[in-house]
Amino acid sequence: MKGYHDIVGDGGSRVLEQVADQRTRITDGLAGVRHLVAVGSGKGGVGKSTLTLHLAGALRARGLRIAILDADFNGPSQARMAGVQGALFVPGSHKVALPRTRNGIGVFSMGSLIPESESLEFESAAQGESHTWRATREFALLGEILGSVEWGALDLLMFDLPPGAERTVQYADFLGPRTSFLLVTIPSEVARGVVARSVAALSKGPNRLLGYVENMSGYFCRDCNAIKPLFVSPEPFDAAQGRPSGLEIPCLGTVPFDPELARLCDTGIPLAELPETPVGRALEHVAQQLLDTLESTTEPPR
Amino acid sequence: MKFLCVPCDSPMKLQTVGPPERGSLSVVYSCPECGYEMAMLTNPFETQLVQSLGVRIGPDASSTEGTRAGGTSCPFAAMMPATEVALPDQAGEPIPVRWTSGAEARLANIPEFVRPMARTGIERFARERGTLEVDEKILDAARDFFGM
Repeated sequence: MKGYHDIVGDGGSRVLEQVADQRTRITDGLAGVRHLVAVGSGKGGVGKSTLTLHLAGALRARGLRIAILDADFNGPSQARMAGVQGALFVPGSHKVALPRTRNGIGVFSMGSLIPESESLEFESAAQGESHTWRATREFALLGEILGSVEWGALDLLMFDLPPGAERTVQYADFLGPRTSFLLVTIPSEVARGVVARSVAALSKGPNRLLGYVENMSGYFCRDCNAIKPLFVSPEPFDAAQGRPSGLEIPCLGTVPFDPELARLCDTGIPLAELPETPVGRALEHVAQQLLDTLESTTEPPR
Repeated sequence: MKFLCVPCDSPMKLQTVGPPERGSLSVVYSCPECGYEMAMLTNPFETQLVQSLGVRIGPDASSTEGTRAGGTSCPFAAMMPATEVALPDQAGEPIPVRWTSGAEARLANIPEFVRPMARTGIERFARERGTLEVDEKILDAARDFFGM
C-alpha cells in the first residue's frame, strides 16, 4: 500500500503549494529592499515602537528610503505615532500602495485600519480555543501583508515587533535569515534578563544580531537641562565594556527619556520638529551606528 | 492530508467542497480508478486550522473558486468603521460612485481586509475631485497623493 510520500500532491487543493507560492510572493515583493531590520526586545514597554519610528525618521532625514511594518497586530501603535491613522490604502497596478508619513516614511499598521476602540479579532470557524490557531493566523496575516504591499525600492524596511521572547524567535523564523535584529532594553535588570533570553534564542539561528539600544537611559529634565537617573540599576551601564552584563551583543547607544518626545508620539509629529535636544542627538547617534553596522560586511562581535 | 483508495492503491482526487456550515466543511474525494466516493467532514477546529494558514480549499484552489475555509469575506469586517454611504443629493437620494472594470480589477488585487476601507476612501477622494466615477486615473492620482 502506498504511503504519504508515495503520493504526489494532495488530491486537488495544493495547500502546500499555496503556502510555497505565498513565500515566493513575499520574496519577490521584498527583492528591492536592501536591509530588513526587526526591532524587538522580548520585553514590553521598553520603547520599541518609539525607537523604530524615530530611527526611521533620522535615517529618512539622511535621504534614505525607509518603511515600517507594524508587526504588533494586537497593539499597533505606529499608525498614531506616525500620523497615518486615517491613511488611505490605494490599489496599485497589482498590489496595494504603501501609505506614507508627512516626512516620506512608508508605514503599514493595522492601526490605520482598525479603530483604537476595537481589539483585533479574526473571523473564526471555531468558538473559543483561539490559543490553538491564533499565532498561525497572525503569521498568515503578516505573510499576506508582506506579499500584497508595494514595498518597491527601499534602503531599509523596519519591522516593529510585538513583545515576547518566544514571539521574537518566531518572527526570525518567519522573516528568514535576511532579516537582522536590533534589540531594545531599558536600564532594569528585569528587562535586561528578558532581552538576554531573546539574545540567547536568536543566537541559535542564522539571523544577524546588530546590537541593542538602551532606551530610557535616564530622563531629560528640561528645567535643569540635564540627564537625570530614571531607573536605579544595580549594574549601571559600563562605558568601558560598552554594554551591561548579560547582553553579549554590541550596544549601539543609549537614549534618555524625554516627556516631550512622548507627547510628539501621541500626536504624530515627527522628531525633526523637536528642537535639538540630548534625546535627538542620542537618536541621531544610534541611527548612524545602525547604518554603519548594516553597511559593514562583517558580523559584529557577540 | 491525502487520501488513498485502499482496494485500488490509488490516490483519491478532490471533487467538491461544500460551503462551511457551522464551521464544518464537506470535502468530497473520489477514486479515479473505481469511482468510490467519500467525504471528509471537518470539525470547526480543523476548519480553523486550515483557515489560519490563509489557504483555500477546493478542486482548483489556485483560482478564486476555491472555498476559503470557514470564511467568505474580510476577516475583520466586524471591526471596520461603518462603510461611508454616498453623499445624498438635494433630493435626499444617495449619489453612487461608479467603478470602471479596470478600477474594480485593481481593487480585487488587494487583500480582502483592506478593500472596504480602500473603496470608501477612494470614493471620497473621487467626490472631492468632482467626479462620480473611479477609474484607473483616479486610482493613480490617489496613489501619488497618499502612497510611497
